[in-house]
Amino acid sequence: MSLTATPPTKTTRASRTRPGLLTIALAVVVLALVPIAVTTDRFLSLGNARAILASTALVGITAIGATLVMIAGSAVSMAASQTATVVAMVFLATLDLGLAVAIVLALLGGVVVTAIQGLAVGYWEANPIVLTIAAGFAIGGGSVWFSGGTPVNAATGGYQILNATPLGLPLAVYVLLLLAVVAEWILRRTTAGRQMYLVGENRAAARAAGLPVGRVTGVAWAFFGLCLAITGIFLAAFNTSATTNLAGTLTLDAIAAVLVGGTAIAGGKGSALRTLGGALLISVITDVLLLRGYSTGIQILVKGVLVLAVVVLVHVRGRR
Amino acid sequence: MTQPLVVIDALARSFAGVPAVREVSLTVGAGEIHALCGHNGAGKSTVVKMLSGQLTPDAGRVLLAGEEVDLRSRQVAQQLGVALVDQELSVVPALTVLENMMLGDIDAPLIKRRRAAAERCREILRDIGLERLRPGQLVSTLSLGERQLVEIAKALSQRARVVILDEPTATLSEAESQTVFAAVRRVAARGCAVIFVSHRLPEVLELCDTVTVLRDGRRVTTAPAAELTVERLIVHMLGETPHRLEASRQPDPDLTHALRIEHLRVPGRLADFTLTARAGRIYALAGQLGSGASDVLRAVAGLHPTADGSVELRDRAVPFRSPVGAARAGIAFVSNDRKGEGLFLDQSVARNLTATRLHKARTARSLAARAGLPEDRLADPVRALSGGNQQKVFVGRSLDRPDVHALLLDEPTRGVDVGGRAAIHRLLRDAADAGLVVVFASTELEELLELGDVILTMRDGRVVETYQGGTDGAALMRDMTEGKDAA
Repeated sequence: MSLTATPPTKTTRASRTRPGLLTIALAVVVLALVPIAVTTDRFLSLGNARAILASTALVGITAIGATLVMIAGSAVSMAASQTATVVAMVFLATLDLGLAVAIVLALLGGVVVTAIQGLAVGYWEANPIVLTIAAGFAIGGGSVWFSGGTPVNAATGGYQILNATPLGLPLAVYVLLLLAVVAEWILRRTTAGRQMYLVGENRAAARAAGLPVGRVTGVAWAFFGLCLAITGIFLAAFNTSATTNLAGTLTLDAIAAVLVGGTAIAGGKGSALRTLGGALLISVITDVLLLRGYSTGIQILVKGVLVLAVVVLVHVRGRR
Repeated sequence: MTQPLVVIDALARSFAGVPAVREVSLTVGAGEIHALCGHNGAGKSTVVKMLSGQLTPDAGRVLLAGEEVDLRSRQVAQQLGVALVDQELSVVPALTVLENMMLGDIDAPLIKRRRAAAERCREILRDIGLERLRPGQLVSTLSLGERQLVEIAKALSQRARVVILDEPTATLSEAESQTVFAAVRRVAARGCAVIFVSHRLPEVLELCDTVTVLRDGRRVTTAPAAELTVERLIVHMLGETPHRLEASRQPDPDLTHALRIEHLRVPGRLADFTLTARAGRIYALAGQLGSGASDVLRAVAGLHPTADGSVELRDRAVPFRSPVGAARAGIAFVSNDRKGEGLFLDQSVARNLTATRLHKARTARSLAARAGLPEDRLADPVRALSGGNQQKVFVGRSLDRPDVHALLLDEPTRGVDVGGRAAIHRLLRDAADAGLVVVFASTELEELLELGDVILTMRDGRVVETYQGGTDGAALMRDMTEGKDAA
């Protein structure tokens, strides 16, 4: 599939008929990747494709939510890992009330905690980075308090259905694809979604036009919270128990995927499908490096360079 | 008098082929306060920008103390002793008076001798009658007028020979203006040449020795202030007085669709404003920067959260302390800051046109046709359009919306060419004919007279006069510049 040529709107007359720097650069990366990938031992196997998709799934789900937040001009949330962890704990601890109840409670928890932050950003114009760093500490503290510092184990079974692999792919992969389509639909077809682009591009103008800046921001964050909660539930199901650092580097991995997808950190531009592409690209590159025997350090290094390059290119394009 | 300190010889400059300044010459002697007057677009700010090194002239020379100088940049101008005190304050509130004065001081030694610097600062403050300020005082604790004075002091600390003041009193109260005048007189007494740009004509006559009037980029006259009156200045500035406001063009529709604004106040900006604006008519608020005209519109649109009073539209209260509330009540606002507070520049024309309604693309097409925008540009980012077309998009956004009952526009044709202007005026007239309340604020006499059915002149946060017709440019200008309180 093409990761590169999904422009946010219909091709326009002068400016977008010639491909942007970013598109060219990503095309080069993909083209360079193809020969390296196919000559890599075991890359072209069904098992490996599954592995790539599976490793994309959880970061991808969070990144899809983070895309809406970034498009709406709220930059990034630094509290993703902590939120997913707390959700995972809530899910595991309430499993004895039944799987459906546990899922609903977990989703509710994730949405409420994150939407509150979104409302603070939307209505009080709180700085999202500062706010979410603070929220991250608070939520992280909450998870330690909740768990007493020891792993939270599943109250009962019943969650195994979440680890099902229909057609050989983890359920989370299907959920990721579904969420990407839903997010793209929200962005393109709903009023709130289209307003996210406007609020993200020029908040003062959106305000002066009487657009519901606070509400739009809140909706973006609530959707992000939903995605975070789903990530947390899958994490819990995979691991069957939750420690305080369950989600690991989820926060930064999700941001990386959104940025590699070409969403503008300052807001107003981007798409959920491109984030999906970004997440996949990162997974493929990591996978190739892994199969070729490079160390974890190199994998992270390459990821960092890729993110940096894309951010610079998006910035250059924006300044044009 | 010996050789004049500043000689401007046949300066000319055009923008995109349109001449803004045509062969303007004038001289200013040491110790002279020379006023530069002219209506909007007369070329004052272009002259000021060329003198302060912000624009290069197409032709002509500038001589300082007999020597031809090349004012390439603001830094060069500053080195040559030309200081500009802008209408927008450039003092940094978070720094002290002393630090602000050192900021632009190119002679300041890298490691400052604080004592000596403070001493010099005190000296300069004393020179312009600001003994009451301490060098260590934070600028954020000063009033607007005092900040303006610090700005002037800063210019002096740069050992300026020529001080240009561009609308220094536009946002100041009468008393604050007086302290600025006193400082300006002292500056001149020290042997500086002062060039003073102001819209407030009585203050020009009070302060200045000589007045040069520009019109359409040409120098119309230069005369000693003592020989001029406000009336004669206005005649010079406007040339033939613009045509008179026709008596009301529309029969008065009933009041059930009116916008009623009662005792609207914005602390520090708008003293008291009451207006019942009928649907189908266009109301013009005439006032210079700081007059409160634009604050009326901003307050009603919900952009002044501290505003106070009552606003009703179609007999229903407008919650005007939030923009969302005002919009929901049927008020659409077109800001004077098209880029910062108006359009979504990187989004398409179609998306901008439908930003507040979010309907189908068909709406965008019919709106584009209505606003006179080329249909093939609907998908282009607004950034790629000309200023005139951008403004059409901005205004067009609020047209044909059944939920909009009042249209408020702040400088509806700022930065728009003549053709675009006429088109936008037509749109507004159509909107009024379609039953909307239209209120706009402007500083341009032609626009006020052409478009307004009722004109309210404003100054210092108050309405000076309401004209239902039968007025002319000279009367408006007098109200906007003098107010009621002047002779």
